[in-house]
Amino acid sequence: MTEQEVVALINSSLAEEFELDLEDMDADADIFDDFGLDSLDIVDMVIVLESAFKFKIREERAIRKIRKLGEIYTFVLGKLNEAEQAS
Amino acid sequence: MSAGETTGGAVMAAAERYRPRAILMNLFAWPALVVWTLVGIVLSPFLYLGWKVVTGWDVGRITRHLIWVYGRVWLLLFAPFVHFRREGLDGIFDAPPGILIVNHLSFFDTYCMGLLPIHDINFVVRAWPFRKLFFYTAFMRNAGYLDIESDGWDDSAAICREVMARNGWLIFFPEGHRSRDGQLQHFYSGAFRTAIELEVPLIPLCITGTDRLMPPGRHWLLPSRVRLRALAPVDPRNFAGDTGHREMRKHVKALMAKNIDEMRSCDAG
Repeated sequence: MTEQEVVALINSSLAEEFELDLEDMDADADIFDDFGLDSLDIVDMVIVLESAFKFKIREERAIRKIRKLGEIYTFVLGKLNEAEQAS
Repeated sequence: MSAGETTGGAVMAAAERYRPRAILMNLFAWPALVVWTLVGIVLSPFLYLGWKVVTGWDVGRITRHLIWVYGRVWLLLFAPFVHFRREGLDGIFDAPPGILIVNHLSFFDTYCMGLLPIHDINFVVRAWPFRKLFFYTAFMRNAGYLDIESDGWDDSAAICREVMARNGWLIFFPEGHRSRDGQLQHFYSGAFRTAIELEVPLIPLCITGTDRLMPPGRHWLLPSRVRLRALAPVDPRNFAGDTGHREMRKHVKALMAKNIDEMRSCDAG
């Protein structure tokens, strides 16, 4: 998967799950202030990302500290790289 | 009409707020609720023992039953000022248990669950009620209520599975918090994922009128008509695949929105 494809999949998955507008999916967007998500949404977000990328991240503390959409891109790309190197 | 607060499209004017019936309600209902809550807390250890001897139930089930009785008495205390009406409940609770979801307009929505004919219900709630409703926390823990925010998805799903295995019911408020404008808000996915994962029906409950009784941000009670309507169970098998929960969520939300509008227009007419 290219970086662009990863970003596109994150955007579409989150937009569908949280009924967001794809046009608002900007790397600098704050997921709490701009998208109106809250701590309970993070539980859903983790499951959405796991389902989209077929990895397990629910035990990762880093995901709970994320605020910007761009940080989600970085986090997911990092996890995918880790998985690729491990295999 | 003077400027008042707006909830669910209803504007509460000062004249309405200070009508004799509203004043009487506030003079009676709040003290009655406080007294009933204190009496309930004091009596609960004795009631536990009595229930245990008579029924042999475990602590969780006894607590859920006592909470339901508490809700029933609340209904009686508020009945002189609030007209409670149930719709569509016949037959629904004769079937094997499932997941109930209800829209959220007021602090008193949970009390209104005393309108249901069943008591063995585990509420699935956020973390804050466990922290802030300190006078209820022990009861919530004893009842086995789920803190979905702190427990996380895996543990919560396991507990939901246990509840279903012992023929208990689950209830979610899928909006997570009370609506400020009376309209349905974004639905969290937990209830829908759980229904699909456990393959149990989901029964939407629509409530109206509690936003007039006491909406968020107001403590002054108003005489109201509260309606609780159960919709037909939704079969999760119709929503397969990775995105099934989203389709189910959209479908159920649309059903609830339609029914809530209809209930409100009936009351307005």
